Amino acid sequence: MLRKLLVMAVVAFMAIGFSLDAQAEGTVKIGAIYLLSGAFSTYGQFAKNGIELAADEINSSGGILGKKIEFVLEDSTGKANVGIQAARKLVYQENVDLLMGLDSSGVAKGLVPVVPELKKPFIITHAASPDVTGSLCNKYVFRISLNIAQNTKAAALIAKELGVKKWTTIGPDYDFGHQSWEFFGNYLKELDPEVVLSADPSFPKFKAEDFTPFINKVISDKPEGVFISLWGGDLINFIRQANNLGFFKQNFKVLMSLGAATEVLTALGDQMPEGIWVGTRYWFAANDTPTNNNFVAAYKKRFGDYPSYNSQGAYAAVYAYKTAIEKAKSFEPDKIIAALENLTVDTPSGELLIRAEDHQAVVNGNWGITKADKNYPIRILDPIRIFPGKDITPTPQESGCNMQ
Amino acid sequence: MRKKIQLGVLLLLAVVLVLLPKVSPFFIVFVATEILILGLFATSFNLMFGYCGLLSFGHGAFFGTGAYVAGLLLQHLQWDFIWVLAVAPLAAAVGATLIGWLCVRLNEVYFSMLTLAFGMMVFAIAHQWRSVTGGSDGLAGFPLTEVGIGLDIVLANPFHFYYLTLLIVALSLAAIYLLTISPFGLILRAMRENTERVAFAGIPANRYRLYGFILSGLFSGLAGALFATFSRVAVPEMSHWTQSAEPILMTILGGSQYFFGPLAGAAVFLGLKTLITSYTSEWMIYLGVILLGMVLFLPKGIFGLLERWLGGRT
Repeated sequence: MLRKLLVMAVVAFMAIGFSLDAQAEGTVKIGAIYLLSGAFSTYGQFAKNGIELAADEINSSGGILGKKIEFVLEDSTGKANVGIQAARKLVYQENVDLLMGLDSSGVAKGLVPVVPELKKPFIITHAASPDVTGSLCNKYVFRISLNIAQNTKAAALIAKELGVKKWTTIGPDYDFGHQSWEFFGNYLKELDPEVVLSADPSFPKFKAEDFTPFINKVISDKPEGVFISLWGGDLINFIRQANNLGFFKQNFKVLMSLGAATEVLTALGDQMPEGIWVGTRYWFAANDTPTNNNFVAAYKKRFGDYPSYNSQGAYAAVYAYKTAIEKAKSFEPDKIIAALENLTVDTPSGELLIRAEDHQAVVNGNWGITKADKNYPIRILDPIRIFPGKDITPTPQESGCNMQ
Repeated sequence: MRKKIQLGVLLLLAVVLVLLPKVSPFFIVFVATEILILGLFATSFNLMFGYCGLLSFGHGAFFGTGAYVAGLLLQHLQWDFIWVLAVAPLAAAVGATLIGWLCVRLNEVYFSMLTLAFGMMVFAIAHQWRSVTGGSDGLAGFPLTEVGIGLDIVLANPFHFYYLTLLIVALSLAAIYLLTISPFGLILRAMRENTERVAFAGIPANRYRLYGFILSGLFSGLAGALFATFSRVAVPEMSHWTQSAEPILMTILGGSQYFFGPLAGAAVFLGLKTLITSYTSEWMIYLGVILLGMVLFLPKGIFGLLERWLGGRT
């Protein structure tokens, strides 16, 4: 009997769940898709913090054109097909007006071609595959975060200044790692035709635990510069093991394209070597603007930490939507899309321009040299190098976008 | 009497499935499509597990092969979809012939381990062969073609795709069902009970297992091809062991001893998943607890429970 009741309860619960249609009048609903489970779920959590903060700020100061923001999160689990189904659910079941999100390039590449069917604007805040605003670009998809091309262009500019010629890489063995090395190598060759790129670069498995063989190989290869595109937990493990093997005391320069992510610096504390060039999509101390100072202070007060780039990206996307809707004076998807094109948005990472041609934001790249500072619990960047978006963003022709 | 109830339930289910898009919220059409496709995958898996008694941990290999072949054909050759659906399962069947030829000689855990290894080999190929498979990002953005043979179906239209899937899955399930009640199906079931006695009766056991494995791979490939078209991507995860584990879970949930068990399991699994993700981002733990409870308290699956309710065997 009890079991019968239990089953009935589950069935009833499902029926109610599916018929719930919580679209209150006077709200604008944002659907966000991030990595919320598994080893990299902190990225989803950071993004959630950013959206929450932006939504609360906007709601407490009158909303967007008088409408309050409501948001729903869905888990991409890092799989393209799951991300696509999540987007369909957000649009058709949750009736969201706006979409945002995406941590993984793989999910982004799968989902972007499907967005035109959903007919809602989509702002990407993290996934870095150049194709998303290149060969796969379409009317509905925008990106306000730094992509692989922009970040590796900045890295190549630094590499040129460092003046060393013989480069190799250590990167995760999936498309992001391979593409990062290809782009970095191509840009560097353009800047300095004399550089020699290793024919045998190191690509440890993504989420590998043991990087020792790769560290030893690079040390014995004696390159002059090492470009590292490992990120997140991989980068943390790598740096700990590299410290033990004396990797950072060798006679070569090191560039880490995502080494200044705050979660990496926080996890490593004083194990993060000093004097290394590291990049990030956003650095909390890079801009002394009211927007950034307010954001950092509010974030720190609420979550007790310095904001990571994923929090900033999500926060900026919500404000980009606000700016676009106010410019369009409408919640119609097509009008919002038109307003997003050529829109300048004031974000904590500086002013960015969303290009009309390929919908990629011309956004600053942040690099710097790691340094200990007793006022901070983590290594900070000093000096900070900000690469203006216009210097590192490929032209729409180069990005290969054919907007329709 | 029992036959009549079964027939009645089946007819009712058919009516519900046909009318579903007319009455349900729009998104349910997507969930139902996914359930049908993965239900077909689980049913073809169960041809090995429930009927042959061999637990394959590598069926993602055939699902993935079907998905990639479909993706590649759509991307590079833009064949009419009907031909894609014909060729992709054949490719999976070829893969199943090669892998099965080596695996069916083994029993129990050794069979499971070997299929797991081959499954992960297919995953590694999909993940590493960047120039063909697109590496970790997989194949994305391939165009959807005409269905062909004069059918006026638009694949991008979710209703059209749902009905097409319903038709293909129904035909496939009918074919698999006919197989299971045929003399061939009886030999498979006999081998599940006692392979040695079947061999003593003069039946080449391994060869029959291989036939079963190939058919199972063929329909898994068909499910994969449908799934890639439905998802608009073919990604390495589709051949990963976690993908191979899904039909196992679905089959156990629904009841491996019942023909429609895997399909029912797929419905419960995906229904719960879709529902729980709406409420919490920690959906995995809730889903895990619910599934654990169902496996512990419903050892014969949902169908076992239903049968007890309807006063059949106890």
